[in-house]
Amino acid sequence: MASLLLQLIYNGLVVGAILALAGLGATLVFGIQRVANFAHGDYMTVGAYAALLLDVTWSTNLVVAAVGAIVATAALAVGLHLVLLRPLRGRGLVALSLITVGLGLVLRDALFLIEGSQARQYAFNQAAVLNLGFVRIAPGELWAGAAAVVVVPAVAAMLAWTSIGKSMRAVADNRDLAEISGIDTDRIGLYVWLVAGALAGLGGTMLGLVQGVFDPNLGFNVLFLVLTVVVLGGIGNAFGALLAGFALGLVMEVSTWPLFFGGVPTQYQPVVGFIVLILLLMFRPQGLLGKAQVL
Amino acid sequence: MMHLLNPQFWTFVGVVAGIYGLLALALYVQFSMAGLPNFGHVAFMAVAAYTMALLVIRAHVALGWASLAGIAAAVALGFVLGIPSLRLRANYLAIVTVAGSEMIRYLATNLSVTGGPVGSMGMLGPTQFATYTTSWQPFINGVTATLSRWVGGVATNDFSMLCLVWTLLALLLLLFRRLEKSPWGRVMKSIREDEEAAASLGKNVYAFKLQALTLGGILAGVAGILWALEIGVFAPDDFQPTLTFYAYLILILGGMNRVWAIPAGAVLFGALYSGTRFLNFYPLSLVDSGDRAYLRLLIVGVVLVLLMAVRPEGLFGKRQELLLEK
Amino acid sequence: MTGALLVVTEVSRRFGGVRAVDGASFTVQPGSITALIGPNGAGKTTLFNIVSGFLRADAGAVTFGGRRLERLPAHRVARAGLVRTFQAPRILTRMSVLENLMLGSLDQPGEHLGRAWLHGPTSSREREVRAEAMATLELLRLTPLVHAYAGTLSGGQRKLLELGRALMATPRLLLLDEPLAGVAPALAAQLLDHITTLRRDRGMTFLIIEHDMESVMSICDWVVAMDRGQVLAAGTPAEIQANESVIESYLGRVQSDDGAPHAPRQSEDR
Repeated sequence: MASLLLQLIYNGLVVGAILALAGLGATLVFGIQRVANFAHGDYMTVGAYAALLLDVTWSTNLVVAAVGAIVATAALAVGLHLVLLRPLRGRGLVALSLITVGLGLVLRDALFLIEGSQARQYAFNQAAVLNLGFVRIAPGELWAGAAAVVVVPAVAAMLAWTSIGKSMRAVADNRDLAEISGIDTDRIGLYVWLVAGALAGLGGTMLGLVQGVFDPNLGFNVLFLVLTVVVLGGIGNAFGALLAGFALGLVMEVSTWPLFFGGVPTQYQPVVGFIVLILLLMFRPQGLLGKAQVL
Repeated sequence: MMHLLNPQFWTFVGVVAGIYGLLALALYVQFSMAGLPNFGHVAFMAVAAYTMALLVIRAHVALGWASLAGIAAAVALGFVLGIPSLRLRANYLAIVTVAGSEMIRYLATNLSVTGGPVGSMGMLGPTQFATYTTSWQPFINGVTATLSRWVGGVATNDFSMLCLVWTLLALLLLLFRRLEKSPWGRVMKSIREDEEAAASLGKNVYAFKLQALTLGGILAGVAGILWALEIGVFAPDDFQPTLTFYAYLILILGGMNRVWAIPAGAVLFGALYSGTRFLNFYPLSLVDSGDRAYLRLLIVGVVLVLLMAVRPEGLFGKRQELLLEK
Repeated sequence: MTGALLVVTEVSRRFGGVRAVDGASFTVQPGSITALIGPNGAGKTTLFNIVSGFLRADAGAVTFGGRRLERLPAHRVARAGLVRTFQAPRILTRMSVLENLMLGSLDQPGEHLGRAWLHGPTSSREREVRAEAMATLELLRLTPLVHAYAGTLSGGQRKLLELGRALMATPRLLLLDEPLAGVAPALAAQLLDHITTLRRDRGMTFLIIEHDMESVMSICDWVVAMDRGQVLAAGTPAEIQANESVIESYLGRVQSDDGAPHAPRQSEDR
């Protein structure tokens, strides 16, 4: 039982890292465009497939593939922002939301068109499980875990100590206030999309690694979890999103532990995530770290 | 090319357009009238259809009552999603409806009682073929028989369905137009524009929003049931999130603020969607037919984004109103 | 405090670490025109929000016509007869002036979903409301604008519209949040005129937040001065103008260019 719990905690941390990184990008973007990015999941999928291209088709190693995913998704995110989202931001919140929905759809279906719908996987021996006695780590999870250990502290440090990081947090938290304080929100917006895209691309790659096999619905399937993380951490709260990602990942995984009311069946983990969202909205919509607001 | 002239095909398109029109009307009430961004619309359809099918197949409830129960279920979903989020900003409703619709689809695919990925056919287990249309058939046959007395050979079951759906749509449009022009409609409009101003004038904003959500839920539920009856069998994949997206497209095509623009938008959408079936010419013919569906969705997505960029007021909307938007 | 229409008792509210309102107490007598003055950040608008139900107080009580209000949501407060306007007029830009006004009327059975279908534009109640709205338009001298989109109105006209809309709700007490801010002098005079006329002809009570000291002092019979969330003093305009702590609270705020008790009238853009 204890070793199972440790296993679940490890899984929860890895999944949590993915959600944390994706959620961080999404929450920062919220501050820039004031609406949720409903294409965020699909940005993640693009990253996963870019990594796939490098890893499988061009036979580079996974690290290069991950870097490629980061670069490709960041470029895509910035490009779409410049060409589509920024010029149209005056159209109103719902129009913008709809555009992101449309964008997601286009990306998803383009991938279906180009790559097909069959399940894909990265080129490494999926069966080479690392057995540490009390925890068993699948190779994909190992790679994802390694990425998390490196990237999460780096990103947190960037946000906390660099001036760009601080500006990004300020804009995400309160765009108007940031503008009045003299921050060039347009320029920061670009950086935000760069970071958000990069993190989404990495997150998508990690997700593909953890899941083992995936298709173009990869990112879309976790979109609502990413959005839950954003709400859980407080919309626009960068550190909140990081914390919330791990929290949600852990809650979802550990909820399947048999000693927890019999354990939630594994395939209903997403339902746990959904319940967290509903409970949040009912009792604490500002999330874990947000401030209470008036309507 | 033979498809182009096949009347049965176009009748089917007409029915689909009509059902989408109902969905768009549901969105109109929730979004154009009350300002509620419901992005999980398709879930309401699914909940109604699944509830109806389950009651007919497993509990042997009569189709009529099962349909009513289905609609009630859709309304219940509206409450589950709306009650936590209506007091909060619009963004939260958008998020919770996206999440909710994903959740519904996920549950429908994974629960064995709903037939799993197979859908309605599998509701009695893998060895039995389950259907909910047994009592529908004689009904629609009766309608066709009645219609054929007036229009002769044109009357087929598809044609009857077409008439049913469009008559219903027309009636509902009239009804909601009236509602829009009533004091209730005026309050709705004010809530959409500025909730706090409405509250300062004694309007119970929360209650009105819940009403809009409920009405939308009823309409979407009706659309879901009609859809289920039209296609005869359904699976979770028949309720993809893209359907919500199509409903918005219809709304936008027609111009978001005109009730009568809905049928125009629906017909246009039907033509656009089915018309892409005929993209058999080079270079698009290089795309294999299985992938053609994705190409269609791609084009529809691109059209929507372009529309939002170039003519956000749609075909019939007033530009001035758009410019006055906060 | 018998006979007072509005009684605010020890109301407090904080935001994070800031005490926006800190144990404020005052009363408003029926049929009076009372001013609520104080430098920026004194807590006046927060107090308005609390009294009108848009914000929950952390502590304290608000009594209106003998009825406790502090737990009521905004729409119930309005229905009780306490209507407020906003600092930046919240008119409904994509609705016509007439629609804006007709919205204000409280007693409209057509607003209920069940009965809405019976109340099209020609129903008798609708016609009554429309007549009321037209009369209000006449009163405010805005009649030519009846069908214009409210969004096309000038700043001053919007203020008048908001006032008219509030009047449609037949309030006993009208809370006006900076009614003269950003308004041209001629229109400002008109607004003040309407206020005094309404008090005289309809017995309406007013509580007004205003920075424009000259105007305020000219029409008010009672002034409540606030600073840092607390009530400094309450009295007649003459008393307040002579009150030392009030003068200090204004002079102490060198940076804000709000009206000090003796500064000339200004029309700032808000």
